[in-house]
Amino acid sequence: MRGRRLFWLIPLLLLPVPLLLDPYQQYVANLILVYVPVGVGFNVVVGNLGLLAFSNVAFFGIGAYTAGILMLKLGLPWWVTVLPAGIMGGIAGAAASVPALRGVRLFYLAIMTLAFGELMRWIYIRWEPVTGGSFGMAVPEPSVLGWALNVESRKFYAFLVLVVLVIGLTDRLLRSRFGRAFVAIKGNEEAAAAMGIPTDRYILLGFGWGGFVVGIAGSMYAALVGHLSPSSFDLTELILQFAIIIVGGLGSLVGSVLGAALLTAAPEFFRDLPGFEELLFAVLIIVVILFLPRGLASLLARAHPIFDDRYYRE
Amino acid sequence: MPPLLELSDVTVRFGGLTAVDSVSFEVAAGEVCALIGPNGAGKSTLFNAIAGSAAINAGRILFRGDAIHDLTPHEISARGVRRTFQNGGLFAHLTALENVLVGLHTQVESGILGLLAGTRGSRRAEAAATRRARELLALLEVEPVADHLAAALSGGQQRMVEIVRALATDPPLLLLDEPAVGLAPPMREKLGRIIRGLARERGIGIVLIEHAIELVMSVSDRVIVLNYGRKVANGTPAEVRADKTVLEAYLGHA
Repeated sequence: MRGRRLFWLIPLLLLPVPLLLDPYQQYVANLILVYVPVGVGFNVVVGNLGLLAFSNVAFFGIGAYTAGILMLKLGLPWWVTVLPAGIMGGIAGAAASVPALRGVRLFYLAIMTLAFGELMRWIYIRWEPVTGGSFGMAVPEPSVLGWALNVESRKFYAFLVLVVLVIGLTDRLLRSRFGRAFVAIKGNEEAAAAMGIPTDRYILLGFGWGGFVVGIAGSMYAALVGHLSPSSFDLTELILQFAIIIVGGLGSLVGSVLGAALLTAAPEFFRDLPGFEELLFAVLIIVVILFLPRGLASLLARAHPIFDDRYYRE
Repeated sequence: MPPLLELSDVTVRFGGLTAVDSVSFEVAAGEVCALIGPNGAGKSTLFNAIAGSAAINAGRILFRGDAIHDLTPHEISARGVRRTFQNGGLFAHLTALENVLVGLHTQVESGILGLLAGTRGSRRAEAAATRRARELLALLEVEPVADHLAAALSGGQQRMVEIVRALATDPPLLLLDEPAVGLAPPMREKLGRIIRGLARERGIGIVLIEHAIELVMSVSDRVIVLNYGRKVANGTPAEVRADKTVLEAYLGHA
């Protein structure tokens, strides 16, 4: 659809955002930008390929620690670590696809991939000389081509560029024969193979791409928070990431963005009501799923076909 | 020249059960060959064996003279053996058009790097495939529903789209698994005309599993009868109709 070009206006419209926010609000906006690719990558595996794999936090942590270690131990500037973080995430994605390639599915796949995230946490804790162990590691000040990202607004622009790239490339992938193959595998693996699709190769590709995107998100996280510790990559984090794609809409890029925005921003709003934060957060998730079982994306898809991701359908 | 499809002494066992027991037959280009028999006779298992989704324990399956029984389903499909599924194998999340595009998967020539870079070549390949898919849908008169989700189509439309999808790559051999199930009589007649046309005019070899016996008798050049995994008859429709063992297979030992 031609109107989709209008999507390029969205990042332009976001350019003045840092002028409108105080530093704390700016931090929350940056956190949303970190969680957009987290959702995008997770959604490729769960929403498009249809595989219930819970290895996403492993990719996120590996990306974050890759960026942190390269900056701290090798003294590389942050922007140089973004691609290696993505590549390490992609390799982790390929590794995490092994059970699925062996035919493990559903709950069994969920548990096996969950173990991958926990194994990584064990490594962050035990590999102390490199990762800083349970206390974690301090990440040096990030910079892009000598331009120090020493205020939140500068991080915002650096992150915005990465998010636009990740969404643009993932959109191209999902709208091609590759994306169709993913959804075909989700629908009926036997029929997909009967169409000449090497399903194993596409499962590997989906996991690899998902890991790559989430690894990049990890490098952004390292730049944003400045301190990495194993407890940031635990099961609670996984549940939050899973909630992002469910609340946003499975298989939808628009949904990944909306889910990341709502679930990252909401706890910050609820912070003014101490003692009720968790309760309100839980109620919010239940209400969205109750009234929009296909996620926030379905709201926009109904409003205008321009928002209807090609392979996301009600 | 070797026959299009040749099965010799094909045996498939599941644990202690012999689902297909030493079955041999050949299918020539342009021939419609029906597989009939009671439920559990091994027809679908034999299909799965040809398509590569069931492993064979003995015998061999040759396609144009090459052994295919050790290949994976996607390799067999890429060689030109395409199939439809008994309970509707359409991808429910995709439209009719997209289903056919998946059928064309191996013919859309776009590499992943060109695609991510958004090269003109990859966009052209996609546009050409979409045009081709619409033409194919128009051939079987289902183009008007091209943009409907597969799940929203009528039973007859689904069957047509599935046949279009299987035919998209111009395969020399087509395996149809109970295509007439749930179709109203006029639709069955249309299906019969399509099957005959594909064989006579386009020279496609067709193996058909079907319970609708009038359809089988009117479209087939040859009918193979299976019972308890064994081939009990192989002949023209008229010959098979007159065969005593066939009556026994269907009616039990009287």
